[in-house]
Formats: sequence, structure tokens, C-alpha cells
Amino acid sequence: MSTRQRPRFSTVPFAWQPWTSTIAESDASPAQWAVLDEVVPAMKTNPYYLLLAHDPEPLRQRTGLFNGIMKGEGGSPRADRELAAVAASRVNGCVYCASVHARAYNQLTGDTEQIQRLLDEGVGTPLGERERAIVNLAVKLTNAPAELGAADLQPLRDLGLSDLEILDITNSAAIFAWANRLLQTLGESTTGDG
Amino acid sequence: MSITAQPDVIDRLAGIAADSPVAALRRQKPDLVAFAQGSYDALLEPVRPGEVSLLERHAIAYRVGLLTGFDMVAAQHEGLLRELGAGDDLIEAIAAFPASDGLEPRLAALLRHTDLVTTAPGTAEAEDIAALHAAGLTPAAVVTVGQLIGFLAYQIRAIAVARAFGEETR
Repeated sequence: MSTRQRPRFSTVPFAWQPWTSTIAESDASPAQWAVLDEVVPAMKTNPYYLLLAHDPEPLRQRTGLFNGIMKGEGGSPRADRELAAVAASRVNGCVYCASVHARAYNQLTGDTEQIQRLLDEGVGTPLGERERAIVNLAVKLTNAPAELGAADLQPLRDLGLSDLEILDITNSAAIFAWANRLLQTLGESTTGDG
Repeated sequence: MSITAQPDVIDRLAGIAADSPVAALRRQKPDLVAFAQGSYDALLEPVRPGEVSLLERHAIAYRVGLLTGFDMVAAQHEGLLRELGAGDDLIEAIAAFPASDGLEPRLAALLRHTDLVTTAPGTAEAEDIAALHAAGLTPAAVVTVGQLIGFLAYQIRAIAVARAFGEETR
């Protein structure tokens, strides 16, 4: 096995390099190009999306699911969804996802200090009560989904969150089980021009 | 009043009735239900499976169900494997992997990758993708397999959450 050096968690933007060829290096079909224009028009030259465009329909469905979970109207404040995304990504080791969503959280909340500690020290770092309850639920769902039960929802209930808000937080942690696996097993995060 | 909720695959596997409070909660965001079902359809019941066969897809999903302790997921895909003609020998070989003989090298490579991505995604290396190519998968097939295993990681968690809400609001 290689002894690849993995980048440290950071809010600095990372690049990503696929471990197999993208549609740009193949005889791609019109449908493969069209899905990029349709679902990720602003990122259609990004190697991650050029890779996923090999199979258009899962990309179309997954992008709809991802955008709905992270940006959909109603339910939890978006910052709570971003925090759950960072927690899942920190546990799974996805520096790329953690960086993108740490920056989104910081921008939404103006609080950079808690996220920095979460990135540096891990999900056990001291957090505010609300943040702790969100991170705990995201971590449980990431590490031990088969053991999740009603008791794991209760701390957020006790803080006054609605069922829909809690569902949004869990959906964020769950979609990052998917996203983290794509980013970490189809290629690697690199620092800048690497 | 009732919204005519269609049970989707997540409701069914979580044991959630279409007229239950949990089904109604999930349908407060109907697009998420539809895109999750659409992902399932695209990856597990595609009209044109292309380079990754239905048997391979259900073998991967069966294995994920077993690895993660989601017995209802394993049972669903065991049933679908049998519908495709898989017998006891194949079902047992998938369950016992990697301590099993007689699997086609391509299926063994797919199961090895399934185990890696499901249980230790942070340890994957470029060599793991090279191993799939060596087993005959094209770049497009590698993407399909990656999306499939990733989707299943999402789906079992969505099931877990629906079940947890169901415990409370039964």
C-alpha cells in the first residue's frame, strides 16, 4: 500500500484529483455532457463532476437530494445542517467536504472558533449545548446507524427543535455518508496545485 | 385529512406505514423522498443496467445490509438475488466473503471494494480503483459501483432515522 500523506483538516479550500479517467478523457455521450449542464452548470469543469457524469442518472438524482437536504426551504436553520455535515466529514476523514462545509457554517454564523476546534481536535472538542447535541446525533448516525434510537433524538427535542428540524440534521449527516465515500474512494483531496 | 402518501423504499424497509406520522414528517420535504427513491431506482432497479449487472448490484446491496446490521436490507436483496437465479451457494459465498471459494474474480473484487467503502472509506487508495480496473471494470462502471455503495450508506441511515422517529410517535 502507498503511504500517501493525507492533508490536515482545514478551512483552506482543497482541490480533488480522481483515480480514474473522467468523461473528458473518454468518448463521452451527449447525455453524459448534458447532465453537467443540467445539474451542476457552475461546476461542469470540476473533475469530481466530470467523473460522476460517467453515470448520468445517479448524478442527477443525488444532486437533487443533496441540494434539497442542504439548501431546501423550511425546517432547520442551514447552519445546523452545515454543522452536521462537518461532524460527519470529520469522523469519516473527508478533508475536502469538511473544508467546504466548515466555511459555509462560518459564513452563516460568523463563529469560526468552534469549527476550527472541531477540525483541529475532532468531534469531542468542547462545544455549546446546541452545537454539542447536533454533533452528537450526526456522529452517532455516522458511526453506529444500526444502534440509533428515539433516545438519540431526545437531546435536540429538549432544546426545542421540531421533528422537521431534527430530520433535516439527520439527513445532512446521512447524505455525507454518501458524499464522503465518493470523495474519499474515487480520488483524493490535494492542497492547491497538488 | 390525508395526503395520499406512496410508501417509498425507505418507508418500507423502516417498517413505516404510509399513513403514519413518520411518513407524513418525511413528506414535509417531498422532493427529498422523491430523489432518494429516484436514486434507488437508478442504482438498484435500472431499466438498462449497462456495465454493472443487476446480479452484481444486488450482491453489493446484500453485502452492505449484512455488514451494517440492516437485516431488512440484506433480506430484500437476498430475495432479489434469488429472483435473478442465485442459489444457496452464491448467497452463502457472498455472506461468507472473504472466507469463501468459488466466486468469480470480478464479483470478488466488487465485494472487496464494497467492504472497504462501507467500513473504512478513509483508508481507500488509488490501488483500490486499479484493482477494480484489473477485474474488468471500466471507469464508468467504477463510478456506478461507487455511487451504489454511497447511496446504500445514505439509505441505511435514512432507515435508521425513520425507525427512531417511529419508536416515539407510534
